Amino acid sequence: MHRTVQHNHTLDRTFFALSDPTRRSILERLAAGPATIGELAEPFGLTLNGVTKHVGILETVDLVITAKVGRARECRLGPAQLEDATGWIEAYRRAWEHRLDRFGAYVEERR
Amino acid sequence: MTDELRLARMIDAAPDVVFEAFTTDGGQRAFYGQDDPGWIVESDCDLRIGGVWTVTFGPSRCRLYRHRHVFAVVDRPRRLVLATTEFRADGSSFEFTIELTFEEQGSGTLMTMTQSGFPTAELRDEHGRGMPNAVARLERAIHARR
Repeated sequence: MHRTVQHNHTLDRTFFALSDPTRRSILERLAAGPATIGELAEPFGLTLNGVTKHVGILETVDLVITAKVGRARECRLGPAQLEDATGWIEAYRRAWEHRLDRFGAYVEERR
Repeated sequence: MTDELRLARMIDAAPDVVFEAFTTDGGQRAFYGQDDPGWIVESDCDLRIGGVWTVTFGPSRCRLYRHRHVFAVVDRPRRLVLATTEFRADGSSFEFTIELTFEEQGSGTLMTMTQSGFPTAELRDEHGRGMPNAVARLERAIHARR
């Protein structure tokens, strides 16, 4: 049970990190390769502080890692995978699909 | 980009039969049931606008989920709209809306269930912008380039 709660908590934080379109765009940009905070800020028209905040949220769930390179902070994709998030969504959909199937079978068996 | 989960099933029975089954005990137990031995389903339904349908279900007494549905629309035998809260075994809960339509097609009924809303307050806010698809698309993009 404890592991389930912990897992859900991590999933909540991952979903929260992914819930912002700017943060998703940052991840898509980093999928193409590492970038500094400044390079991330430019296409989104954000301040350095704004990007740093978004990157910080992604960093807390290991979707992004950062390292100081000279005077800049370089960001790259972190070790976290998105399978948990997509897996949760798929399991949720399947559970409701099964409910509908069971109900349909029940109605048809009664006829 | 969709903002909802939509599932449909053709059922070989007339809409009024399907609607009646869904709003009475046997159908509700089938909907929330499982083949697992010991699976628990307890349903209590007050079918009227503003009425509450509560369902408790799960594999054992110590691991139960609860859905509390409030009927927002009762349009017999065509449509139901439910404001639903899911209470999970870990103490968390979330709210979403379920719309069910029962559409006559030939001698059967196309039953369509549409859910809007999504777990966690942050996701509920984001869901309108297509969160599930966005996450899946992002995962594909990242995997393709890793």
